[in-house]
Amino acid sequence: MIEIRWHSRAGQGAVTGAKGLGDVVSRTGKQVQAFALYGSAKRGAAMRAYNRIDDKPIINHAKFMRPDYVLVIDPALAFTDNITENDKPETKYIITTHLDKTELIAQIPELQDKKDRVYTVDCMQISLDTIGRAIPNAPMLGAFVKVSGMFQLDEFLESMKRVLAKFPQKIIDANMEAITRAYNEVK
Amino acid sequence: MAEKMELNEVEVWDGNYAAAQALRQAQVDVVAAYPITPSTPIVENYGAFVANGYIDGEFVMVESEHAAMSGCVGAAAAGGRVATATSSQGFMLMIEVLYQASGMRLPIILNVVNRAIASPLNVRGDHGDMYAGRDSGWIQLDAFNAQEAYDLNLCAFKIGEDINVRLPVMVHQDGFLTSHTAQNVYPLSDDEAYAFIGDYKPVDEMLDFTRAVTYGAQTEEDWHYEHKAKQHRALMDSYTVIDRVFAEFKEKTGREYKRLESYLMEDAEVAIVALGSTVETALLAAKQLRESEGLKAGVVAPRVFRPFPFNEIRDALANVKAVAVLDRSCPMGAMGALFNEVSAAMYASPHRPLITNFIYGLGGRDFSLEDAKAIFREQKGHADVGYITTPLQQFSGLRGPKLGFYEMKRSK
Amino acid sequence: MKGVLATDRRGIRELGAEELVGWDEVTQGVILESFEVPMEENVAHIRPEERPYSDFSSYTATVASWRVIKPVYNRDICIDCQNCWVWCPDTSIISRDKQMLGIDYDHCKGCGVCVEVCPTNPKSLLMFSEAEEPEAALAKWPEKKKKEKK
Repeated sequence: MIEIRWHSRAGQGAVTGAKGLGDVVSRTGKQVQAFALYGSAKRGAAMRAYNRIDDKPIINHAKFMRPDYVLVIDPALAFTDNITENDKPETKYIITTHLDKTELIAQIPELQDKKDRVYTVDCMQISLDTIGRAIPNAPMLGAFVKVSGMFQLDEFLESMKRVLAKFPQKIIDANMEAITRAYNEVK
Repeated sequence: MAEKMELNEVEVWDGNYAAAQALRQAQVDVVAAYPITPSTPIVENYGAFVANGYIDGEFVMVESEHAAMSGCVGAAAAGGRVATATSSQGFMLMIEVLYQASGMRLPIILNVVNRAIASPLNVRGDHGDMYAGRDSGWIQLDAFNAQEAYDLNLCAFKIGEDINVRLPVMVHQDGFLTSHTAQNVYPLSDDEAYAFIGDYKPVDEMLDFTRAVTYGAQTEEDWHYEHKAKQHRALMDSYTVIDRVFAEFKEKTGREYKRLESYLMEDAEVAIVALGSTVETALLAAKQLRESEGLKAGVVAPRVFRPFPFNEIRDALANVKAVAVLDRSCPMGAMGALFNEVSAAMYASPHRPLITNFIYGLGGRDFSLEDAKAIFREQKGHADVGYITTPLQQFSGLRGPKLGFYEMKRSK
Repeated sequence: MKGVLATDRRGIRELGAEELVGWDEVTQGVILESFEVPMEENVAHIRPEERPYSDFSSYTATVASWRVIKPVYNRDICIDCQNCWVWCPDTSIISRDKQMLGIDYDHCKGCGVCVEVCPTNPKSLLMFSEAEEPEAALAKWPEKKKKEKK
């Protein structure tokens, strides 16, 4: 069982990202779960989305989880939200930021002893450059593919194309570029 | 002719979308709805399917849930296949008309995405609305995950519309925990699904001008009682059709449903009885406790809340020593409703296990694996000493001083 | 006492005098059929007295016994304005081709609304004791009232 927690703001696409990831993963024959804690949250409010991935059907419906991966797709939430909550000694962090890794960790005391498990990527800038809007979910998927090593990039892109099939070609291409760039740029 | 939709062998759908797809495949003629969180996407997607040519049907916008169910009653009396969805406050506003629908024997399908009832206002899941519907004369099916929300919707049409049933059916799923949680769902093709449900066969339809009928007649003390008794009998007897439809569904899909689901109960010493997504979490807790502590734990869950599986409960719990019945609704001045019904069933048995009641998960409060394990362990404690050492009603996951009510009387 | 256009079916039983059957015999969903046989023709094109109303239709029931006073109709004064037909709460004014024919005494409850709304002088409908014979009532009909001088 792999468990993933997304830290996001309502409107940034964490739910879509989590569901998109679930969709792609399901096509590899695995069982997935994607859910989020939101409801009456307004656009911009801090929220969390979750994934579970397993070989067996997933029957745990509790919200509580000890994540294997924490994906932070809003730069400010790395500072204001409790991103290390309920973590494990092997939990990996992928954080979107314009800072370099050393600068970021220097400002977040909770990450001091987890330096080798922290990865950074500027999902905001990548999404602005490729998609033209601050929708950082697609680049985060690219970074996750790289860090987790769960998939080959090509396979992932192919599956993602099918998930996005209902969108215009221009949008599909932009997402592919965003995923690829983040895959290459995550450190 | 509606367009067909190509579906993958496995889709990643949340409970709401799974239910909406089932409504599409059933080719529901009319949905009259007043959308409310967390059930909104069900009727929203129905509307989109109609607009995009995937359903030959009509989405009727109304000004309240009372009007939504009234519109459904009208359309069903006219002779159409009808469905809608609601939650919480919307459900409460619908209640008056729910009794009309069942009394008129109109097989409307209502997706109830369970949500807490205000005040205080809360959009998340508990079973307050489901419980409020339990005397309304509807069949109530309970889905524990998105796949089941899809499957049970398909079954609901076939059950409710059966000529020997002709009763409205609610399909319940937990708000957010099921409705907004995407999981692997294995759908049927459009043709397979429709063939399973079959064409709608109207009964006493008002649009049959050769046979004018009156709906909603007034009956005073000379007739009312007989009509209600006949309706109750129909609901009680509907289990035969429910069993048959579940068997046909298993034949078609391999997925088995029972009116009372029992997990790991063959040798269970302690058990949890619950409803909704909690059932699966409790099952995972039971599996882990069996492995880690050798605790023989099992789970029993009414798949069909109405008609209540009285005999099946009595038999399923015949060999356990201690049972915790979990109610995700605050009973306000009494023991939990599920506790009362399970206890009543066990009172009709020579074997009476120790039964306690837990209130939990109100307003969407998380029910974790550890919460479930703590309850199992406590039941094991009762089983070992042979009496209930705690208050009969307790509260799981509640902040503040321990709250509990009533105690077991041990001597005469 | 049968009114005008009496048929075999109208008012053949006291309302509420249906045979009381057990729960196993009542209709499913309290659905009541209006007619005894399938209506292949548009019902609206068939005159009420020719429709095969069922035993559960109020057409075949009578509430005549509820009445203690009754309206009596005077054809000689009536101007066929249809006011009484419009206002009667029990559709007990029988009119055909805009011509007033009389009262359906099987369904009239004697409320007197028809008399209230009758615009003629003297009125074409007046309330009399239930026991009064129509001929005797007509013989007592009042004269036209003169306008009072102010």
